[in-house]
Amino acid sequence: MRWYIPYGNPTYFIWLALAIVPLMIGLLYGRRFRGYQTIISLFFLILTFGGPNWRTGIALIGYLAYQVILVAVYSKYRQRKASPNKGWPFVLAVILAIVPLVIVKVTPAIESGRQSIIGFLGISYITFKVVQTIMETRDGIIKEFHPVLFGQFLLFFPTISSGPIDRYRRFLADYDSVPKRADYLNLIQTGVRYVFTGFVYKFILAYIFGTVLMPGIEQRAILAHGFSWNIVAYMYVYSLDLFFDFAGYSLFAVGISYLMGIKTPMNFNQPFKSKNIKDFWNRWHMTLSFWFRDYIFMRLVFFFMKHKVFKSRVTTANVCYVINMLIMGFWHGETWFYITYGLFHGCALVINDTWLRYKKKHQDVIPHNRFTEWFAIFLTFNVVCFSFLIFSGFLNTLFFGPSKF
Amino acid sequence: MDDVKDKVIAILNDLTGEDFSDNLDENLYDSALLDSMGTVQLLLELQDELGISAPVSEFDRNEWDTPAKIIAKVEEMKQ
Amino acid sequence: MSLKKRLLMIFGPIFAAAALMLVVFLSPLWSGLNYVNPTVQRNAASSLSPQVLKGQLIKQRALENHYVPFFGSSEWSRFDPFHPSVLADKYQRSYRPFLIGARGSQSLTNFFVMQSINHQLKGKKAVFFISPQWYTPMGEDPNAFSFYYSPLQTTTWIEAETGTKMDRYAAYRLLQMPSGNSDKIISATLARIAAGLKPTSFQYFYVGVRHRILLNEDQIYSRYRIPFNNAQTIDKNMKQLPSHYNYQQLNQLAGKIGKQQTTSNNFGISNRFWNRRLKRHVNQLKDFQAGQSYVKSPEYGDFELVLSQFAKDHTNVLFIIPPVNKKWQQYTGLSQTMLKQFDQKIRYQLQSQGFNHIADLSKDGDVPYFMTDTIHPGWRGWLKIDRAVDPFLTKQVNPPHYHIDNRFYSKNWEQYYD
Repeated sequence: MRWYIPYGNPTYFIWLALAIVPLMIGLLYGRRFRGYQTIISLFFLILTFGGPNWRTGIALIGYLAYQVILVAVYSKYRQRKASPNKGWPFVLAVILAIVPLVIVKVTPAIESGRQSIIGFLGISYITFKVVQTIMETRDGIIKEFHPVLFGQFLLFFPTISSGPIDRYRRFLADYDSVPKRADYLNLIQTGVRYVFTGFVYKFILAYIFGTVLMPGIEQRAILAHGFSWNIVAYMYVYSLDLFFDFAGYSLFAVGISYLMGIKTPMNFNQPFKSKNIKDFWNRWHMTLSFWFRDYIFMRLVFFFMKHKVFKSRVTTANVCYVINMLIMGFWHGETWFYITYGLFHGCALVINDTWLRYKKKHQDVIPHNRFTEWFAIFLTFNVVCFSFLIFSGFLNTLFFGPSKF
Repeated sequence: MDDVKDKVIAILNDLTGEDFSDNLDENLYDSALLDSMGTVQLLLELQDELGISAPVSEFDRNEWDTPAKIIAKVEEMKQ
Repeated sequence: MSLKKRLLMIFGPIFAAAALMLVVFLSPLWSGLNYVNPTVQRNAASSLSPQVLKGQLIKQRALENHYVPFFGSSEWSRFDPFHPSVLADKYQRSYRPFLIGARGSQSLTNFFVMQSINHQLKGKKAVFFISPQWYTPMGEDPNAFSFYYSPLQTTTWIEAETGTKMDRYAAYRLLQMPSGNSDKIISATLARIAAGLKPTSFQYFYVGVRHRILLNEDQIYSRYRIPFNNAQTIDKNMKQLPSHYNYQQLNQLAGKIGKQQTTSNNFGISNRFWNRRLKRHVNQLKDFQAGQSYVKSPEYGDFELVLSQFAKDHTNVLFIIPPVNKKWQQYTGLSQTMLKQFDQKIRYQLQSQGFNHIADLSKDGDVPYFMTDTIHPGWRGWLKIDRAVDPFLTKQVNPPHYHIDNRFYSKNWEQYYD
């Protein structure tokens, strides 16, 4: 049996189109066929996690059972009348939720590149959804726990492999209701446009940058031994490939969700137009950076301020930036280049804030015009591309190759 | 009632350096007057000054993005 | 706006685009777009790229020009001043080699490549380089076959097949490869052909549509992005040759260049190959080929496919049987007796069916600077091959009389061992 990477080839799209037509007709006439949706979800999950990949399919089932039980137990604890809502059960639940992901991420680092048997495509994205559900349960925002709905949320197939990362309450609100016909037609229109923009991004632009241009540049850079302008060329080509590939994929995921009447949040908003690094993180892989903002950064800030750990507000923010981005680096994988990438962005955010404060104080002397705005965009773009060069691991191949990755 | 409004406006004034008394519908995020740091501070101040505890999760940017909305939210939570 | 109208506004453009695409890819008009410029032909003839191997248009145009197909595998990539492409170009021969085959392409791949140029092979000449190393107990590696597999050549062949023994055997072999199963309807069609049945009318229809699309893709895209680095290599090598052809002088030059380039080892293997591929492992390779046999192999049946196709096209073919580097053969323990048996067996298969143009170099493995590495000819080897190829292609040769014997498709012959 063959298997399919989600949105990987034309056949997958043909299956997709055939499968969601009945669902769309239902939605147009005010009905959501939830049973049917479950069946096609299973079908697409089997396309990706079945066949030669059946081992990852088993891993996925095991993982799902584990997380559903974990969240169910924690919910039970929180929903008892006069639940004490102590800190330690919460911390324990979060730790248990990320243990599988940690194992999967650490295994290649200590077993010289071997993949863990409990891993599967998209595990890190599902983990985000689980952790976020636990946190909101702790806060008492999520008051009821439905194992089946929770499963639907975790396994929502259009976003299973790489996000965007939705929120439980938002997803449930969509899933429980049927959009008005006029609204749904708008969703269809936007969804179709997203899917076709995705085609341009992923199958034309990412192909040009990643498949046509990149290999030659990569080879020339390696043959040059040491620094050459090819590394700079590689940096830009890699960055553009990364963007168009990922943004293209995200457009598919969001577009297909829309057709299914689920308003999965957008992942990219013209990131290369950012005027500074903070702006960049509000436009690049938005569901991930917002997740980190809401569930790590803001909570860290809240904790530090409440307990008055640092005297100044500035120090608090800076420390939180670095910790936040460092965790993001570790999340990408346990290699020096991912961690450096995180650290780099943490520091970039600190510098960015310092500069903005300085600029605000000296508004009268520092010019602000169209030219400085263009310059800011140019500078941000280059800083970001440089961070992607670190992220690509290419420097690792170049300096410490042959690489085992 | 007005007590809440005044306090919220005072807190916001403290945080952003702007007076919103006549400008209750200004979008605090679009105008970059408030960021995640400021938001957390706002939540802490509301807790200290008005005794309402809003967890970070409660915080949905779309529901808290103007002084008017914040005041409405706070009043709702006080009841 | 009504629901219908709104949906039409959303999906109309998609259906229109799909219809337009169908029209473009199914249109027979593309077949008029035939011109391939001579530079592209020249680059393609020596490119050895899978893209050229799998395509059709460029080969057809080139062979109608003055190119002659040189079928084979990895040997063609051993460029030096005496490589057939270099000699033909330098001395302005009436032919130019169109090199077909690369590492891992064996008889079965060559058989399917022939399907795209049958018309151009009819009554013409060709050169076929037989590698003893193809004839392993496993035969052609399925992965290598997949790498060179061309759906276009398959549909071309299905459209022309008539249920002969050759066709049935080809279908049977294709079904044993993953490529033959990559399309479910094609694989069902193959199963019928292998069983001696005609494909169903639906299968013909499907194959016809596929064929038209693949053909148009080939017509539209195949002439672009042809690698030209080998053509440059040929130009560079030509500069090392004297301006007039003189065998004695060239043979001397071949010895001289060979000597300069084999200073790193005692096997007469070129420094480049030695340093990159052998040096590090040479100790482990001692006697590693003891017990290796080229006498029993499914490759014999695949080779018969090639012969049957040549016979059907009345192509006059020169076969080249190369030696193995003698010193390397002895070091790695490859049996001399077995090589001799291979030579006898393959010659029997050729000669008993009327394929009498054979350049058998199997005894030249110990001529100095004959081989460029362990199994591929270089310098003097290429020069000696040229001594057979040049007259065969430039002079009048008697038309062939082939009589194909289907026994060569049998398991019995594959496993035959004297």
